[in-house]
Amino acid sequence: MATSDINLADRSGSLVESHRSYQPRVIFFYFVVALLLLVLVGGLAYQQVIKGDIHHERERMQSQRRIVVPGPRGDIVDREGRVLVGNQQRLSIVLYLDELQVELRREYIRVRKNYRETGDRDLPSSEEMAQIARVSVAQHYLDQVNAIIGRDEKIDNRDFDSAHFSNQLLLPYVLIDDLAPEEFARLVEHLPVNSPLQVYTASKRVYPYDSAAAHVIGMVKPDTSVEVEDLGGDDLKTFRMKGTVGRDGLEKEYDTLLQGEAGGAIFQVDRMGYKVKPLQQRTPRQGKKLVTSLDIDLQLAAEASFAKYAEGKAGAVVALDVRTGEVLALASAPNYNLNEVSPRISTEKYAEIEEQGGWSNRATQGLYPPGSTFKILVSIAGMRAGTIDPDDTSIVCNGTVMVGNKRLLEENGTVQHGPIALREAIAESCDVYFWTQGLKTGVDVIATEARRFHLDQRTEIQLPETRGIVIPDPAWKERVLKEKWFPGDTANMSIGQGYVLVTPLDMACFAASVARGELTTKPTMLHDPQAPAQHSEPIGLTSAQRAVLLGGMEDCTISGTANYLTQYKDLRIPGLRIAGKTGTAQVSGKKNVAWFICFAPLEHPEIALAVAMEGDTAGETVGGGRYAAPIAQGVLKKWWEKKNAPTSPGISIKGPN
Amino acid sequence: MPPKRFDQARPFVVLGLVLAGWLVVPVVLKTFLRASFFEFQAPLTLSASYARDLQEYWSLRLHTNDELIQAGRDLGRLTASYEDKVQENASLRDEIARLEAQLRLPSFGEFRAEPARVVRRDFSGWWQQIVIRKGANFGIPVGAPVIFAGGVVGRVLEVHAYTAVVELISDPNVRLAGVVEGDDRPVSFQGGNNPTFGPAQGVIEFVPLDIYASATAPKTLLTSGLGGVFPPGLVIGQITQVEPGADGLFKTGEVRLDPRLSSLNEVTVLVPVNPE
Repeated sequence: MATSDINLADRSGSLVESHRSYQPRVIFFYFVVALLLLVLVGGLAYQQVIKGDIHHERERMQSQRRIVVPGPRGDIVDREGRVLVGNQQRLSIVLYLDELQVELRREYIRVRKNYRETGDRDLPSSEEMAQIARVSVAQHYLDQVNAIIGRDEKIDNRDFDSAHFSNQLLLPYVLIDDLAPEEFARLVEHLPVNSPLQVYTASKRVYPYDSAAAHVIGMVKPDTSVEVEDLGGDDLKTFRMKGTVGRDGLEKEYDTLLQGEAGGAIFQVDRMGYKVKPLQQRTPRQGKKLVTSLDIDLQLAAEASFAKYAEGKAGAVVALDVRTGEVLALASAPNYNLNEVSPRISTEKYAEIEEQGGWSNRATQGLYPPGSTFKILVSIAGMRAGTIDPDDTSIVCNGTVMVGNKRLLEENGTVQHGPIALREAIAESCDVYFWTQGLKTGVDVIATEARRFHLDQRTEIQLPETRGIVIPDPAWKERVLKEKWFPGDTANMSIGQGYVLVTPLDMACFAASVARGELTTKPTMLHDPQAPAQHSEPIGLTSAQRAVLLGGMEDCTISGTANYLTQYKDLRIPGLRIAGKTGTAQVSGKKNVAWFICFAPLEHPEIALAVAMEGDTAGETVGGGRYAAPIAQGVLKKWWEKKNAPTSPGISIKGPN
Repeated sequence: MPPKRFDQARPFVVLGLVLAGWLVVPVVLKTFLRASFFEFQAPLTLSASYARDLQEYWSLRLHTNDELIQAGRDLGRLTASYEDKVQENASLRDEIARLEAQLRLPSFGEFRAEPARVVRRDFSGWWQQIVIRKGANFGIPVGAPVIFAGGVVGRVLEVHAYTAVVELISDPNVRLAGVVEGDDRPVSFQGGNNPTFGPAQGVIEFVPLDIYASATAPKTLLTSGLGGVFPPGLVIGQITQVEPGADGLFKTGEVRLDPRLSSLNEVTVLVPVNPE
């Protein structure tokens, strides 16, 4: 017992001693551990405090995705509010892939198992099997849809897996586009409410009048750069649904106004990129409405009339409101059905329209010599310069004039008007008279007068215009053609031939300016019911001179070169006095251009028109009266009908007796 | 003897074990147990329903002879008026058949009407269902449309041996294709989130922009007949509000459903004669 106690005491003492003993190596390790801990804490503090923002930003970039949805474009309407371009809903059936994670995983396992059971050594890679599984699941859902609506659609592997799954995972995949109403109804009734298959809606541009005003309205094209304001997350990975952007015409000119406000959402996603929850959302809004100056009734009348008389030839019709310069109709032929070319156009269709020359808006981009319609300007220039006396009958038209050593023949010398004054010369479009008066007046005076009317400048309408307008003079010829100006050039210019090139819109503006007795008409494609009347510098004719000018233009439509308008019963418009001027320009070696410019009613002009029709008969001299004038008459007839249409009878309210 | 603390926790432990056990039970067994539960429960539900009928019978027995005579006279008058209606209906039915043939519309003749008594109503914020006293024994199929005098009731969700569960159109999981009266463009109707004490309602989507309706000038929403489940022309409800959707392409709106949906006693199941 005592021994044991001693041993215990010894051991106890040794233990106590060993515990209390000084171990420098241990102390060293304390420091090492403390240092390591300090490094860890320091590292943690560095990562959390100093680099915390960077990590937070990285985590945000990794776990958040942004979706941008374009807003529907605004409507384009005519001056009476009738929709020229609207939006039509396009119903699609889409598959929300982010709800298929579990199913995709199961399918992947099944596919892998099937391959392994085949015992084939050449197995697809893991990624390839995942692709097979994805397409298989998508096809399974598409089969469900096929069974409901009776179709036999197949998944496009490349489009689905490469294009959509890899790049647009957060967006629903469109299985079938453009569902019929019956198909929509069946899917609504047969699909479970919480199915990954859902009916989805998007908008497409729709044109109720097909090809009417196609060149004015213009087309849209797909746009993948849709941006959304006030959503934030610009730096996040963004999935953009396709929008549309104006490609030409008013769609392009007023794209900013028509473009809807895009909406979108920021989603939190998991590590695989599947949607977890929305963090922020903004609903898209439709763009603003564009009220054009067009009157669709007149537009349709212009196009129908052109088609009737032009019989497939090219050309343009422009009708303006004389008071405001608003374009009431602007037609260019050939044109195209907007519903067939927007938002996508097939290569074949594009080539077909290209071959017909349908892409060009001839009203604003077609360059033609104005022909005899230019005689109105020559008349004004001569009267203002004092070289033309309206009552002078000293000029005798025997069908020919000598200019220098060259003999000019009017209609090959078959026409002889005899002694002729200005009024009759305008009505009969006497070349001999205007050759003589043009040479007397001089090229500089004529060119200056044309520039006073701004015929050398673009009209600045809200549509693409040509830059090729030419009002020639000796300096222009010297500069451009490096040639000298000859008297024959002046003679040619006096009857709107030679180097003069204008557009139908220019001539419509000219007609409207003459109608108001002023120099300038600024055309516009926008309608403003409160728009004040346009005013510019007066032409500067005396009332007697103006009376002769307008008298000649009215005679033109009654007994002159446009007498078709009164000779044919179908073309007559009882009660409407029209001032007009025909023209038939020869484009050297190519084709004729039949012209007619006019305004009406003569007493108080309200509408001005210009028609240009490209002919194909060389040497044709009465084209303007035979073809172009009846086209204009079709528009005038409709305008007159609308103007005189009975308004709804007022309600008479009897007051108390 | 186990420690006191463990003794107190025993119910939770048992519950945990049962739940853990349920988790590992095969899906087939779970499905079987669930189906069995409904089948075992059905006699109880049916018994309660028959007991209610019996109770009603005995309460009627308490009426005096005078009351019964009066009721008999009323019934006689009612029967006479119904006989008139039957004849009128016969001629109308011929006319409808003629028009249907002319317009190539689907015919009600494609359905067999199976009247059924409601034995239980099960309404909550999550679902709106009724149980009817006919099931597989009367050939009721899943998905069959169910109607009543006021229009559409819903469609059959589950079919058991003697009962069937009907999902009402006020149920948020029910969706069908409707048309606004006087229009032929289909819209989507879906049961809404129903207020606890308020009338049942639903929502419509994909409504064309030129459709207008308000609480003061409501429009009737009918079944379109295009969806393949419901025949056309049945009343779904009254559209009391439509407003443009955010996308500017369609309107969305609210539909007020028939308040009698919450107190139905009899419904008719339209059993397709030639199911697709």
